[in-house]
Amino acid sequence: MHVVKELWEYREMTANLVKRDLKSRYKGSVLGFFWMFLNPLLQLAVYTVVFSTIMKMGIDRFYLFMFVAFVPWLFFSTCLSSGTTVVFAQQDIVKKIYFPREVLPLAFTLSQFINMLLSFLVIFAVVAVSGVVINPLALLWLAPVMLVEFVLALGTTLLVSALSVYFRDMEHMMGILSMAWMYLTPVIYPVDMVPEQYQYLLYLNPMTSITVAYRDILYYATAPQAETLLHAAVCAGVVLAGGQAVFCRLKRHFAEEL
Amino acid sequence: MTGDKYAVEVSNITKKFRLYDDKGYTLKEKALHWGRNRYEYREVLKGISFQIKKGEAVGLIGQNGCGKSTVLKLLTKIMYPDSGTICVRGRVSSLLELGAGFHPDMSGRENIYINASILGLTKKEIDRRIDSIIAFSELEEFIDNPVRTYSSGMYMRLAFSVAVSVDADVLLIDEILAVGDVNFQAKCFRKLMEIKGAGTTIVIVSHSMDQVERICDRSFWIQDGQVKQVGSPFDVHRNYLDAMSMKRKQRSVDQAVSDDSQAKPDDAVSFVSAKLRNKGQSIESVFRLGEMLVLEIEMDSVQNIEEHSECGLIEINLVRADGLFCYGCAAPLHQAKPVRAKDSQQAEKMNIRLVYPHMNLLPGWYHFDLHIADKEGGTIYFGGNIAEFEIEADSPQRGLFYLEHEWTKG
Repeated sequence: MHVVKELWEYREMTANLVKRDLKSRYKGSVLGFFWMFLNPLLQLAVYTVVFSTIMKMGIDRFYLFMFVAFVPWLFFSTCLSSGTTVVFAQQDIVKKIYFPREVLPLAFTLSQFINMLLSFLVIFAVVAVSGVVINPLALLWLAPVMLVEFVLALGTTLLVSALSVYFRDMEHMMGILSMAWMYLTPVIYPVDMVPEQYQYLLYLNPMTSITVAYRDILYYATAPQAETLLHAAVCAGVVLAGGQAVFCRLKRHFAEEL
Repeated sequence: MTGDKYAVEVSNITKKFRLYDDKGYTLKEKALHWGRNRYEYREVLKGISFQIKKGEAVGLIGQNGCGKSTVLKLLTKIMYPDSGTICVRGRVSSLLELGAGFHPDMSGRENIYINASILGLTKKEIDRRIDSIIAFSELEEFIDNPVRTYSSGMYMRLAFSVAVSVDADVLLIDEILAVGDVNFQAKCFRKLMEIKGAGTTIVIVSHSMDQVERICDRSFWIQDGQVKQVGSPFDVHRNYLDAMSMKRKQRSVDQAVSDDSQAKPDDAVSFVSAKLRNKGQSIESVFRLGEMLVLEIEMDSVQNIEEHSECGLIEINLVRADGLFCYGCAAPLHQAKPVRAKDSQQAEKMNIRLVYPHMNLLPGWYHFDLHIADKEGGTIYFGGNIAEFEIEADSPQRGLFYLEHEWTKG
């Protein structure tokens, strides 16, 4: 509770770090802010070419099927792999100034989250073009699903950012892990493609429920099942609590280890 | 209950650091050195206790590595002690690092917001201060330019302006007062005195005794992780400087034994000895304030000294034990009236006397540096610390020199 109160006092710092991150990311490039939209669009183009013409999946409008899951996945996987560098990259201020250390992973996750929200503008455009019926009632569910994913991503960032201060290999390990994790999540394939006896294993992965929920809303235009959502929420809560517990323990010695 | 009289209470804190021979961060290294990660502990703080009253300004002095910066880091909660307790009452602001989080591509104004928010200010608080921060930094014309276009002095001015704008109850400062040009330094100093006058508790880590003496009410001398002495800056610094010069003397004695005074044969001149005499012509190393001091230097001249003595310069500098340059005077060699004694063909002896009728330096340890230059200004000979002495006085005074003065009724 103390941490929450302190984070609130330092809200301006969090906001500024997010702003700085978003502003500086595309600074100096010719297209600037447009990359934020161009990036997911180009990735979509690649996957569409690969999975609609070469590896045919036999799924109607596969580009949309994949894209609505891929953008949220990208948010999570960036937190998992690049989240490792969050504290490390700011070692100058960590070693010299006191502030609640949680600000760093929080700001990083928020900035990635905002990035995802902007990518969703592209998703909506693609949905509109593809002619899928939009179900406004289902769309209302988007907010809680995003919130749950945010909680999960924040917990993950807390965990990996703290651990990698002590253990620098995390960065490379998480890069590989996030690649493997993507194939263990139904991002480019539907859940029912997995043999039935293994499907429960798939659901051990918290990202499975979240991916399924996104796809229900945006591809199938239905409200996600309460069961799916609840499962995702519980998983996310556990990860956040665990991540914060680890971070809290490890942050005391950040200044010495860096 | 000790009450809220104290802004800072530190009791019996210890802190150890792990010193790794070669720290292994990677999986391979961790696996290879599992369980036998070679490191040793270094005790930086060995049970430090002190209290600082509200509104008091305290200076922490000591040698490099004595643990004073660690104390500051513990006070700001950047680090945590291994044992003992620290209680700091009120909002803490630390000036350990200037310009934290500055982004070169962003404007000065944007960076003020970022930097101030890292120091814990909310947007509203920054909005209220922004004009005074910009005014203090004197960067009005450049404030909307990206910071990368700033000179390093401008950069530091901006950073300092933000740092001092934080209204804290306890302000912690680490060696950062040498910012910008002379005018700006004076301004920073006035600002600090203003902050102090407003009742802020200040803790300063500094190697500059002058700064500490001017700002602080008390000094803590920290040595080997313990508080060695607490008291008025005047007393503590004197003892500290004495101890430092004793240490240096010890070291130079050790060195002299080891390197056997290398007098290169091709040196045009070489220094033989220096003596200090008082008014009564007896050799001394302790003088009273205002007393006469005579420096006698004896030198060997290998080459024909006439060449140099016509146009060469002899320069005598007075340096305080902490390295502060106090006074220097120079004279053409021939004017310094070297007394020659031709006892052999090669070596010519040269005796030089410098008389200070009133040595008005304030109490402390001082030494002389000798510098002999040729007509182009190139160094022929440099001798550091050729003679050392101590000044004593009864009544405490502050500063560097004694100035004749008189107190009268107006």
